[in-house]
Amino acid sequence: MKLRTARTLTGAYLVAALVFVTWPGLLPFARIEPLVLGLPFSMAWIAGWVIGVLVVLVLLDRVEKRHRDGGDD
Amino acid sequence: MEQWIVVTIVIALYLGLTLTIGLLAGRRSSHSVTGYVAADRSFGLVVMYFVTGASVFSAFAFLGGPGWAYSRGMAVLYILAYGAIGMAPFYWLGPRIASLGRRHGYVTQAQLLTGRFPSRNLSALIALLSLIAFVPYITVQMRGAGIVIEAVTDGHVPLWLGALVAYGIVIVYVLSAGAMAVGWTNTFQGVFMVVIAWTLGLYLPYRLYGGIGPMFERIAEARPEMLVPPGLDGTGAPWTWGAFSTFILVSAIGLMMWPHLFMKAFTAKDDDTMRRTVILFPTFQLFLIPVFLIGFSGVLFTSAPPAPDFILPHMILETRLPAVVVGLFCAGALSASMSTGDALLHASASVFVEDGVAKYTVLNDHQQRLLMRVVVLVTGAVAYFFALDPDSSLVLLLASAYGIISQFAPPVVAALYWRRATTSGVVAGLVAGTATAFFFWRFAALKPLDMHEGVIGLLVHVPVLVAVSLMTPKQDPELVERFVS
Repeated sequence: MKLRTARTLTGAYLVAALVFVTWPGLLPFARIEPLVLGLPFSMAWIAGWVIGVLVVLVLLDRVEKRHRDGGDD
Repeated sequence: MEQWIVVTIVIALYLGLTLTIGLLAGRRSSHSVTGYVAADRSFGLVVMYFVTGASVFSAFAFLGGPGWAYSRGMAVLYILAYGAIGMAPFYWLGPRIASLGRRHGYVTQAQLLTGRFPSRNLSALIALLSLIAFVPYITVQMRGAGIVIEAVTDGHVPLWLGALVAYGIVIVYVLSAGAMAVGWTNTFQGVFMVVIAWTLGLYLPYRLYGGIGPMFERIAEARPEMLVPPGLDGTGAPWTWGAFSTFILVSAIGLMMWPHLFMKAFTAKDDDTMRRTVILFPTFQLFLIPVFLIGFSGVLFTSAPPAPDFILPHMILETRLPAVVVGLFCAGALSASMSTGDALLHASASVFVEDGVAKYTVLNDHQQRLLMRVVVLVTGAVAYFFALDPDSSLVLLLASAYGIISQFAPPVVAALYWRRATTSGVVAGLVAGTATAFFFWRFAALKPLDMHEGVIGLLVHVPVLVAVSLMTPKQDPELVERFVS
């Protein structure tokens, strides 16, 4: 993947995360049921976006690293 | 042996160990300002990971988090939501800041900003605003330490003494060793608080309700309004979406602008270390979940604590855990308080001397280090004075501290990414933004949509920065080139 694409996608994910953990993006998910691993849905939903940040950054890092090492981007 | 004696022994052992680690680490540091402020730029991944995590998660998260979950329900999710999002841009920003630091010898945020926007008044303004934001933050940490010790020792060690001893130790190792001590003690403290939080957060729901799911099912029956965001406000009425959302926004923007966190970028050994710290930060963030569970486990509990912030020690004492466990918990909470408090004290001294005083008089390395130590003592004393005042409205002060801190974001972004930004623009924006935030903090009833005053400040700040920059002459392209590439 090109470096530029990876950066844009990461930025897009972060913006989406911000939208979906605040008003109005959180509205449809601001509920208790179903419980996920015992947690109310809204808590699991936000935790999911946090874990997503980890995943996205790991993927971004792989692309950035290849680019830094001088490989083709 | 009586429980409180066992608890006190465990705490004493913990404090002794922290002090030893702090002092030993200090012996590895050089006697230069870079050594004191930026630990000779030597931190590897493990230290950086825990330094960052432990300085972000303070007594506010460890005591305030459960307190919010207990009294305000899902309002507490705002604390879970902002951290990872706020930290992520540092994957790019961090290495750039670090490389500028290495090239030009910067060790503070203001040095970086005034490198691009030369103005000693800008530097002094940043130093002043940082200090104003720091004092209530340090006070919260001290009070947190005092509250925990007083609660678990049955009042045998009162708040004033607990806070004094805990922070006496912090001041000793911050004074003697600076950033190196902060780094190594935070590694120790970070491990400690993560282990304690997960253990207790999983244990309490099982012990009291037979599991996390059953606990929330019971709360959903009895207090369903608590389990739906944006939760409740301090009085028990529903919180507004405007406040919930803008708290997340202002905290995400402000998080890495805290000078004590921003300065961490100058302590990393290399760029890869810093990038990995940012990548792994969400794993630290998840430790808030067990912290919240501790608070939720108190919602339907038979007895109530004297105040929501006491819910954690309350649960531990009421569920009759063994004394050693109570002592260990207490050490975990102290870790949270002290690991942020030390970083704050250390940063306030560095910022005040490097960015304030040193801009107006010439100090040699030795005088600077001496003055920094004086500032650590004075700041500590001022915060301690406020910590003893039972009526001080610290949560309010702390919330508005974010209003100030978030105003550092536009100048940082402008310095690194916007060629056309000018010194006048940045100063004007900072003054306008801070003044607006202060105004709406003071007259909270006027806030549109119940928005956090920091966000309103930013809505004024950014247009002013842009407009004034465009109205003033361009900067020297050679200067700009060093920062924007």
